[in-house]
Amino acid sequence: MLVFAARRIALAFVVVVGVIVVTFIVAHVVPGDPAATWAGPHASASQIVQARKFLGLDRPLAVQLVSYLGGVASGNWGVSIHTHRSVLSDLLTAAPPSLELVITALVLAIVAGIPLGLLSARRPGRPADQAIRAGSILGISMPIFWMALILQLVFSQRLKWLPAAGEYSPSLLFTHPLVRRTGFPVIDALISGNLPMLGSTLKYLILPAIVVAAYPAGLIARMVRAQVLDTIGETHILNARALGFGEWQIFGRFAMKLAWTPVAAAIALVFGYSLVNTFLVESIFDWPGLGSYAAASISTLDTPAILGVTLFVAVAYVVANLVVDVVQAAIDPRIRLR
Amino acid sequence: MRRHRAWAAAPAAGVALALLAACGGGSTYGGGTGKNPTVSTVFTYDTYTQVMVDGWDPATEYSNGIIAMSNMYETLTRYNPVTKEVGPLLATSWSHSANGLTWTFQLRHGVHFHTGRLMTAQAAKAAILRTKKLNGGAAYIWGAVKSIDTPSQDRMVFHLSYPSPLALEASADYSAYIYDTQAAGTGSLTKWLNTPHDAGTGPYTLQSWNNGQEFEVVLKDFPGYWGGWKALHYKKVVFRVVPQDTTAAQLLRAGQVSFVEQMSPTQWKSLQGASGIRLVSSPSWQNLLAQLNTPALSRPIRQAISYATDYRGIAAALGGAAVESSGIVPAGLFGHFSNLPSYSYDPAKAARLLNSVGYGPGKKKLNLTLSFTAGDSNEQVVATLLKSSLAKLNVNLSVQSLAWATQWSKGKSASPRTRQDIFMEYWWPDYADPYSWFVNLLLTEKQPFFNLSYYSNPALDKQINSVESLVATNSAAGSALYRTMQVEILKQAPIVFLYNTNYQYAMTNKFSGFQVNPAYPNVIFAYSLKP
Amino acid sequence: MIETPTITPPKAAIPRGAMWRGLRANPLLAVGGGVVLLIVIVAIFAPLVAPFPADAGTATHPFEVLKAPSAAHWFGTDQVGRDILSRVMVGARVSPVIAVIVLALACLVGIPLGVAAGFLGGWVDEVIMRVTDVFLAFPPLLLALALAAVLPASLTSLTIAIAAVWWPWYVRLLRGQAASVAGRPYVEACRALGISRLSIIFRHILPNSITPVLVQVSLDVGGVILTASALSFLGLGAQDPVPDWGLMVAEGQNYFTPDWWLVTFPGLAILVTAFAFNLLGDGLRDLFDPRRSFLR
Repeated sequence: MLVFAARRIALAFVVVVGVIVVTFIVAHVVPGDPAATWAGPHASASQIVQARKFLGLDRPLAVQLVSYLGGVASGNWGVSIHTHRSVLSDLLTAAPPSLELVITALVLAIVAGIPLGLLSARRPGRPADQAIRAGSILGISMPIFWMALILQLVFSQRLKWLPAAGEYSPSLLFTHPLVRRTGFPVIDALISGNLPMLGSTLKYLILPAIVVAAYPAGLIARMVRAQVLDTIGETHILNARALGFGEWQIFGRFAMKLAWTPVAAAIALVFGYSLVNTFLVESIFDWPGLGSYAAASISTLDTPAILGVTLFVAVAYVVANLVVDVVQAAIDPRIRLR
Repeated sequence: MRRHRAWAAAPAAGVALALLAACGGGSTYGGGTGKNPTVSTVFTYDTYTQVMVDGWDPATEYSNGIIAMSNMYETLTRYNPVTKEVGPLLATSWSHSANGLTWTFQLRHGVHFHTGRLMTAQAAKAAILRTKKLNGGAAYIWGAVKSIDTPSQDRMVFHLSYPSPLALEASADYSAYIYDTQAAGTGSLTKWLNTPHDAGTGPYTLQSWNNGQEFEVVLKDFPGYWGGWKALHYKKVVFRVVPQDTTAAQLLRAGQVSFVEQMSPTQWKSLQGASGIRLVSSPSWQNLLAQLNTPALSRPIRQAISYATDYRGIAAALGGAAVESSGIVPAGLFGHFSNLPSYSYDPAKAARLLNSVGYGPGKKKLNLTLSFTAGDSNEQVVATLLKSSLAKLNVNLSVQSLAWATQWSKGKSASPRTRQDIFMEYWWPDYADPYSWFVNLLLTEKQPFFNLSYYSNPALDKQINSVESLVATNSAAGSALYRTMQVEILKQAPIVFLYNTNYQYAMTNKFSGFQVNPAYPNVIFAYSLKP
Repeated sequence: MIETPTITPPKAAIPRGAMWRGLRANPLLAVGGGVVLLIVIVAIFAPLVAPFPADAGTATHPFEVLKAPSAAHWFGTDQVGRDILSRVMVGARVSPVIAVIVLALACLVGIPLGVAAGFLGGWVDEVIMRVTDVFLAFPPLLLALALAAVLPASLTSLTIAIAAVWWPWYVRLLRGQAASVAGRPYVEACRALGISRLSIIFRHILPNSITPVLVQVSLDVGGVILTASALSFLGLGAQDPVPDWGLMVAEGQNYFTPDWWLVTFPGLAILVTAFAFNLLGDGLRDLFDPRRSFLR
């Protein structure tokens, strides 16, 4: 087990280095002048040259790459050309709201997707199955930014069931202000015992989370269905049936266990996919996360920040995959032999 | 003219003054603690883009930050849109010598900076000189000032090198703030300001800055404000960044914001009749310009473009947000004339002009590039319409939407080859005077700054450099000179005057005292509102 | 859009009538295929059938902006007066073409690499797989976004950016195919007989791979279309006046609440197209997997 874990970690490390190199190459294809942006709109030509020196942009590309690699390892991810602050600190401020959204969406997706997938596999080919299959395909075909706009219109403006945008109700800004410690609004409200704020953050989380959950829910339902149908003919299931276990017991205890493997793998997959998906909806829901940060960096050609966001999300993805792989291997010994 | 201000029409996210919870919340969502029985004391201004992008230094601010700064800082005088003159603010009265070269300002007593220090003539002098020295923002407004004397604690005497309307200039919305230069002690003032801190005299002071979050700037009342707090005023001002137009409108309907800075015309119209919402439409001193690259485009081509623009179509498409221009200077300002020989949409004439230089229908194809500010849906509509009309004349216009900073740095780039052919931006005066357009957009520049048509006309330069003193000494002659200059500019066509903006503001009706002040675009002086 | 490709079991001989029976028994495939066919027809004939074909180009009508859906304009007009129905119809050419090019590129790059990795094994396999892993470490939209952000915005950049992200999946797919075939006894026998590697690739590996590649491609079309529309929505792809659906939604969102038709119809078009291709892909997968067909 340890050997497996060690090998996987080493592999992940190699991949991360590769990710950094690729991101670096991508970001330096950029036309435009980051030094000019840094120096500001009033800068003179000599000030821009100075800025270029300061930012290290006058060194050969290979040297810049090596220094960047070293920097990343030691926690120096560069300085944002736009905000003039450390990119890493910008990211640590911007990441928690996005992560909160993605994690909530994944929870919703699992809670909805697994039962639906099981239900669908229960009687394949019947109306319930067809409906759920159509629904899951709908989920994975949905343009998320469009869904966000439509749901916001319907649920917020027309029905007035849910709030339109923001992380919490502005009315609480002064009466029960949120003390940010971790950066996650829900967690911060919880640990400071701020109950009205807790309720508010949860309420404001609902609509964006539903939008982001559509794709993962569809995907998970499909995978559960496929996996269950694949294994349902297998000998030990037949055995269980022969032994007299009821259908629901078979599903609950045996099929579910088998369904976990692809679902767990899917979770890591959709984590990365959904994290980037939030970029598309953050502006619509006034959600101050990585997406808003990425949008600002792109429009100001803030190379270090673009690099930082890409790197951050990719590394998060690699880590998520790593964690899932190791946990799966711990549960299912066969995987370690692969 | 802070072109930095990308007029992001789209995000017009309601500036809604989120009269938060204060006001019984109206229809606010999300678990408020309960109705506050007293009147709401929080004003929420909904803006579509980040507020403090230029730093916190009042001397160099040249962007969206003034919506917050004008509540923390004050100027010597302030333009009054009703009397159409500048009125007293930090200065109570002023006078100037007959030749216009000496101006004396009497300062108000009992004004304190937020740092606690008393505002004296010496302090004001130090602020103005520092602003001049840093030469950022609109520091040119102090260009005529040679020296400043402070014969007493409450009197300032300015000595000018040429006659200039100083009282008017002192009311500018940029670079005219009076601030405490001693605030940082021996340390760097800029660094201290960017912490951030504020060193102003205004009714509100900085409570918190949450960079990158939706409630970006929170201001609280400054108890020692010279205006006092006996009457009913807002106690807190929140600046909320909502990038999405649609979202802003929804927040306004829900009563979660008090004022929306900008939204698309149809969005604005659709709020008509919505309960609790007040709509205000008002002419402004802002116009949208297309600056044509004069070295790259010959006069026939420039005139052709001027004739190829469908001015009426643009105004129709923007539904009330746009009014056709007459010359450079908008209505309501000195130097405006409604009977200038402006261009009108005449594709036939445009075709003839293009043909005369080998382009146009049936001849060589002309390729042009246009840049406009990303996020501004009105500019986008205009760019699309322009592209369409030019396509009919065998001119291929490629349109590029860029973030303001990027658009501007491309226009200022040292190598002419990377510059655009048409630069689209808004302009509005730094103070209530037409001079701003001429000195910023048309004066010959060695290094391009805002003259992004790269226009150089030495005769015009001479006229521009003399017009201010002329106006100060002989108003009729000054007016005539403005007219002459505009006629010449129209003939040479370095700029296409697309339209004049009509402000379309949306706000809740929970407060009174709102007045549109074209001298301070999009600025709400929250103190003057009555909740 | 990211579906882990299934490993097809050994190909059983499919009797003639089975295809038709499969189609009839598989309504999803029929529906998906039908809608896809419709979209393709619309895309091909759009300029002829659309009521205002010039509106998909540079034509504008400033005096008819933002008109609600009516008899004259079934889908209404946009912010510069262009007929939305015509633009949606012509837009059917944009996304699918991007998808075709992207997937063709992905196959062009991914198939040879995958075959090399799976068939040759050893260090070739290691190197190729590690590089593939690096690219797979980026959630798809992310790398495409970063690339598209640094390249000048255009349909070409968009296509390159997405293709750069999609090829790893085909490497993995073909590697699996090649590896499974390479390990079989009859292949060893072929090698022993002196038959060249290339011959084995072209006569055994590739033919066996057609089906899974076909299935993967049809499953991926929906994903590419969504990614392309997302990037255009962010302003990183097609530029006005190209009637790309994602771009239309982006331009329309400022007018959304009062003028809902600018966003609704292009968005629906994206949804329906992605949905149809996914149905088709699902249906094809079921069709070619005999084991599955029994469970319909």
